[in-house]
Amino acid sequence: MNYSFDFQSVTRNLGPLFDGLAVTLQLTVAANAIGLTLGFVLALLLMSPWRLMRLPVTLFVEFFRCTPALVQIIWFFYCVPMLFNVFLGSITMGILALGFNLAAFNAEAYRASIQAVPREQLDAGIALGLNPVQRILYIVLPTAFRASIPVLLTNGIVIFQQSALVAIVAVQDLMYQAKSLATQTYRPIETFSVAALIYFAVSFPVTQLVDYLERRRLAVAG
Amino acid sequence: MDSLDFTVVLRFRDALLQGLSTTLELTLICVVLGCSIGFAVGLARTSTNLVLRNLSSVYVEFFRGTPVLIQLFWIFFCLPLLLGIELSNFASGVIALTLYMGAITSETFRASLKSIGREQYDACVALGLPRWTQITSVVLPQALLRAIPTLLSNCVSLFKESALVSAVGMADLMFIGSNISNNTARPVEVLTVVALIYFVIAFPLTRAVTVIERRILQKLAV
Amino acid sequence: MRDQPAAPLVSASGLQKSYGALKVLKGIDLTMKPGERLVVIGPSGGGKSTLLRVMMGLETINGGSVTLAGKPYIRAGATPARTVIDIAVRRSIGMVFQHYTLFPHLNVMQNLILAPCKVRGEKKAKASERAAALLSRFGLGEKLAAYPSQLSGGQKQRVAIARALMLDPKLMLFDEVTSALDPELVGEVEQVILQLAKQDMPMMIVTHDMWFAKNIASRVLFCAGGVIVEDGPPEQVLGSPKEERTRDFIDRVFHIRQ
Repeated sequence: MNYSFDFQSVTRNLGPLFDGLAVTLQLTVAANAIGLTLGFVLALLLMSPWRLMRLPVTLFVEFFRCTPALVQIIWFFYCVPMLFNVFLGSITMGILALGFNLAAFNAEAYRASIQAVPREQLDAGIALGLNPVQRILYIVLPTAFRASIPVLLTNGIVIFQQSALVAIVAVQDLMYQAKSLATQTYRPIETFSVAALIYFAVSFPVTQLVDYLERRRLAVAG
Repeated sequence: MDSLDFTVVLRFRDALLQGLSTTLELTLICVVLGCSIGFAVGLARTSTNLVLRNLSSVYVEFFRGTPVLIQLFWIFFCLPLLLGIELSNFASGVIALTLYMGAITSETFRASLKSIGREQYDACVALGLPRWTQITSVVLPQALLRAIPTLLSNCVSLFKESALVSAVGMADLMFIGSNISNNTARPVEVLTVVALIYFVIAFPLTRAVTVIERRILQKLAV
Repeated sequence: MRDQPAAPLVSASGLQKSYGALKVLKGIDLTMKPGERLVVIGPSGGGKSTLLRVMMGLETINGGSVTLAGKPYIRAGATPARTVIDIAVRRSIGMVFQHYTLFPHLNVMQNLILAPCKVRGEKKAKASERAAALLSRFGLGEKLAAYPSQLSGGQKQRVAIARALMLDPKLMLFDEVTSALDPELVGEVEQVILQLAKQDMPMMIVTHDMWFAKNIASRVLFCAGGVIVEDGPPEQVLGSPKEERTRDFIDRVFHIRQ
């Protein structure tokens, strides 16, 4: 290996990278806002007693879970303007595409944890004379929400990483800035390494937090 | 907007099928290689050797903590510079996706190894089983059985992530799909069909995961 | 024969076991003659299950030693991690646990022949023949191909006993084997153990079931606070205990002394 590293080419250009990071974080936060709220609504609809209500929601959720995020994003950017005649800013489009994707995954997380609330808990609620709404508000949702936190956090950080895909449709996020910087400076190794480290620096604390929460939950349960 | 014309897609049927076969081939290769790495790394992460454990943790955390796209770019653009060799886009795709698969399946193997209860080891001792028999006849079969559902969903994730190789110019389903879409100016029809192809393969697999998981848990419940 | 002093089967002296700062066994001395059936009773956390686990060689110890049929078996080292356990001697002891611990990925037959084939290198055909005979004796002749998940708790526990017997143990340990069972399934498991008792199989039993204790024991130990408080024939320990603590325990279990 006789490659001589030049990290100055990156450190001199940290400005664009941090601008990109700001866009990436903006995409992540907004997509999570959509994912956490829309995901919850979708989860409730998934468990609706009416088949007609369940079917389209199931299709929506499964479609996002079973196709590549890249396909979804490119489809969104090309097809939504043509099909619905709406023209939005590219960041807004990115937020919506990522947000719907996340909503589908979060809906599954909510549904799984709501259905995992033990039957006896509900029986105890009935025995205590709580009405159905009270049982949901005071027993099901608090238990389910707490149980779903690790998965929601994991999904949230996955969408942070998936947000790099919008670089392919020219949204100027961290990935995009890294790619153009690599081309400008002819220093792909230094540039991509620094960009990867930035992604890692954001993800790692969150995954550690998830691991900690999981361990604590298991310790309490065990 | 113009009316939709799906016959466009039929004209390019062969090209799309060609792309699909590349996608499947790539996925299959990386499933085999990635699972082998994942198994070894999963064992290393439960090992008592500190060096082995730390090295494998760094590998897994790094690949879990950065976008697959940047891993792919790093391998495609940087590895050839560092090693002074040519690397085809197929080879870089295989390397990147194998390392990704290795990281996620190692977590699967680790969790399944950890899920084997203390009592099973006690029973082995009480029966006087030699160490090697404990591992080959009791621990590994149960761990592998338990790992199957998650491994299957890891395969689905890999299949979806494989669409990324289109970003380094590999002629997979996604790449051929977006080319046809650009050349015919019919993104809605072409991209929708591409998405459906991914869906038709991934959806039955995710359903199978649920069914298989239930059966295996039923069998292993003691 | 019974009146002559027989050489001890088990001889343990000064057994000590701690988990961190918690002393669970505080120096236990114990001898057991061949053909004896020792039932260990006592409050939870009193050390009775730990005593059995130590006997099985599942635990390291902080002090003391055990011999089995005159052979050195367990000896404490300078630290618990240095505990010396003779693996060959350990193979002559069988144990059945509270939670069945069958191997869930193997069927009943495979569960039984795994150890004989792997430990003693017995031929599969011969081991299967012995296993089938043992299972039909325990009323499980129809279940050879069943998986543990398809069996009731009582059936699982009978399979676990059969599995332990496949290695012709010199001593059997039973650790609360009926505690996880539904009440109506307890009888079938206890019958199997009584059947073994008739054949003079030496055993140590930890149980909460006083009826069973009375029926099977040739000797009862009352174990509390990490020591053996009382040791004697069942009529004495269960019927008219000498020690205050034993009396309290028996009173609470039976509500009134019998």
